[in-house]
This record gives sequence, structure tokens and C-alpha cells, in this order.
Amino acid sequence: MTKLPRGLDLVIRPERAEALLWVKLRLEQRQEAREPLFNRYASFARSIAFRVRPWGRNTTAKDAEQWAYAGLLQAIDAFDPLHGSRFESFAKPRIAGSVRDGFAQLSELEAQWNYRRKQERDRLRSVKDGAATEKKDPIEALGEIAACLAVGLMLDGTRMMAGDEAPDPAPSAYESLEWRQTLLLLQREVEQLAPPEATVIRQHYVHGLTFTQVAELMGLSRGRISQLHTSALAKLRKRILREY
Amino acid sequence: MMGAPKLCDDHTLQELVNAIQSGAKDEIEQADRLLVEYPEDGRLHFLRGSLLAGIGRSIEALSALRKAVELVPDMAIARFQLGFFLLTSGDAAEALSVWGPLALLPDGHYLRYFVGGLTHLIRDEFADSVRLLEEGIAANQENPALNGDMGLIIEQVGKLRADARGVTVEGEEMSATSMLLGQFAPNRTRH
Repeated sequence: MTKLPRGLDLVIRPERAEALLWVKLRLEQRQEAREPLFNRYASFARSIAFRVRPWGRNTTAKDAEQWAYAGLLQAIDAFDPLHGSRFESFAKPRIAGSVRDGFAQLSELEAQWNYRRKQERDRLRSVKDGAATEKKDPIEALGEIAACLAVGLMLDGTRMMAGDEAPDPAPSAYESLEWRQTLLLLQREVEQLAPPEATVIRQHYVHGLTFTQVAELMGLSRGRISQLHTSALAKLRKRILREY
Repeated sequence: MMGAPKLCDDHTLQELVNAIQSGAKDEIEQADRLLVEYPEDGRLHFLRGSLLAGIGRSIEALSALRKAVELVPDMAIARFQLGFFLLTSGDAAEALSVWGPLALLPDGHYLRYFVGGLTHLIRDEFADSVRLLEEGIAANQENPALNGDMGLIIEQVGKLRADARGVTVEGEEMSATSMLLGQFAPNRTRH
């Protein structure tokens, strides 16, 4: 059923309706005009997202739409309606750029995520193998694995202290004096390890190299790196326990 | 002590209107030049706003019409056209607000009929809308272009009412509104 036009609809001219919104937003600083402008161009942004979105990627159309909307909002905020150009012409490259940037950032995040997962797999396999050879009781072995992984997490914390990344100034449980002292102790103990173990820990936890990269660096096998890693974590764990 | 605003003389203003009506290509530039000399002349802003509206530079047109009403609040035609511009922009509330002072015009004034007719149109009171718009057209001997605009609205309403199923009414350009010069005469803009 066709909607009966309202009386007002008979006289509205779209180009004037849009002009009024720009006047309100840009000249009168009335932020309530932002939403109708956004609504007016939302489908335009979606159409660009649809065209720009690389197919076959592990992303949904919703991701692309969200980036397109972000680009649209930036375009609305930056557009000078008195410049003479049409908003579509102004906004199109910005929306497309926002979608492309979104995918690029996602790729980076995906790479980081994959990298992180690879590191965690390396560590788990390493400590699991080490614990399995030493412990007969599965529960005890599991406890050993968990403890070693915990040391690994603490070593990740030392990267924050040693690297260029400034610690977050916001107070948190991890910033307690006790925790920081523990990390300092751990850093010291890493330096007390035998050189090959210290190198593995430093390169893997402080510089972020994978076991394969550390193996290449040290001219050793990946399996040997895994062994050095396990033994280093076990020593560090014992030394920390001795201190407390 | 602030003096009275320096206004463009009627002869110069009429020359500008004549130039526009004769199809001069640089009418906006002419208006701009006069506005440099007479920035407080609301009539020039109204003319400029009309020209800009006619070529689709709606943002500047709206600003110019607002400036005209701000400078000369009792220039009824400028006030009506600003309200009509706002109405055709979809802002009925602001249009009604701008039109408010037109209620002070004498009984029988065509702009009062037009405002009444458009107010009924906003409320979807089509019969009353058409009746008042027609009365306004009959009363208006000054601005034939405006009668053309209101006639188009009556036509649109007629199509709407004729088709109870609400088939989309084809948009016809109400070009006369954009070209307000026909209704502009330097000596009869104030009421």
C-alpha cells in the first residue's frame, strides 16, 4: 500500500532540506543536525563499503559498514558546504579510505593475534614436554605447566618495564609495588641464567622473537630452544619461590 | 552614537532589478557589489537570496533571506519567503515561527491567506488549505510569481485528493519561488 503523502511532503525540496541541515550544523553549530545528515547518507556509505570490501576475507559486511559509517561521520564533520563541491564527491574517497584503513588495521591485528597464538603454542608445548619428562603424576605435571606459564606471563610483564613502551600510568593491581619488585627480581634472575637460556628468554620475551627465529639467531634447533626455554622457566620459578 | 543604516537608493535598486529581469549574467556580482556599499540594506540581501535560491545555492540563499529579515523585520515579502524557504526545507515549525508576525498584516492581505493556506497544508487539512490559497491568489495583485507557486501547490493537493490510493505525485518544479524578482518592487516591500 502506497503511503499517503503528507501535506508537507508536497512542498519539500530535498536539496533545500539538506541545505538547511548544513546551515544548522556548520553555521549555527547545532549538533542535532548531524544525525539526519548521517541518516541521509548512510545508504551511500553502505554502497561504498560494499564496493570497497575485499571479498574472501574473514570479515563480515557489518565490519565494512561500521568503517564506512566512521568515514561518513568524519566527512560530515570536515565538509564545507559553501565550497561548492557535492557532499558525495567529498565523502566518497573518505569513506572508501576509512573502509580500506579498517581492513588494513584488521590485518595487523590478525597478524598480531596469530603471532601471539604462535608464541603461546610454542611456550605451552615447551613447558608441557618438560613437565611430562619430569613428572609422573598428571596433576603435578599440570601444576608445573601452569606455574611455568605463569612465569612466562611475568616475563611478558618485564618487557613492559624494559622496552620502549611506557607503562600505562593508570593505577592497576599490576602496578602494585610488590608486583613491580617481583618483576625486577625476575629480570635480575634472567641475567643470572646460563647464557643460552638467558638469550632464549630475552629474545623471546623481551624482543618478541618466535622460537623459530630464536633458533635461527642462535644457530640451534627449534627443539633445543624449546628445551632451553623450559629449563629456564623452571629455574626462574624456583628462584622466585626461594625469594618469597 | 549609531546612525541610520546607509540604504541603496530606489533608482539604483530598480536598475539592479531591471538588469536581472533582462537576463544579465552577472546579477549576483552586481548585488554583491552593492552589498559592499550597502551591507545593511535588507532589500539587497533579499534580492541576493532570491537570486541564489534560483540557481540552487540554497545555503547562501537561506543565509541571505535570514539576513534580510533580520535587517528589515517588517519587510513582509522577505519574511514570507524566508518562511516558505524553511517550509520547503522541511522545517515547518521554524517556518510557522518566522511567519508569526505576518498575522499583524491587515485583514484580506494575500500573504495572510497564503500563510493560512500553508498552515492548513502542514496539518493535512487540504480543503481549507486550497480554499485559503485560492483566496490569497485572488487577493494578490502584486506578485504574480507567488500566485504561480501557490497555484502549483493547489494543483499538487488536487492530485493528492483525487487519488485516494495515494499514488506518488510527480514532483513539478516550483521554479517561480526561486525567482522572486517578479514580486519584488523597491517601493512596495514594506508593510
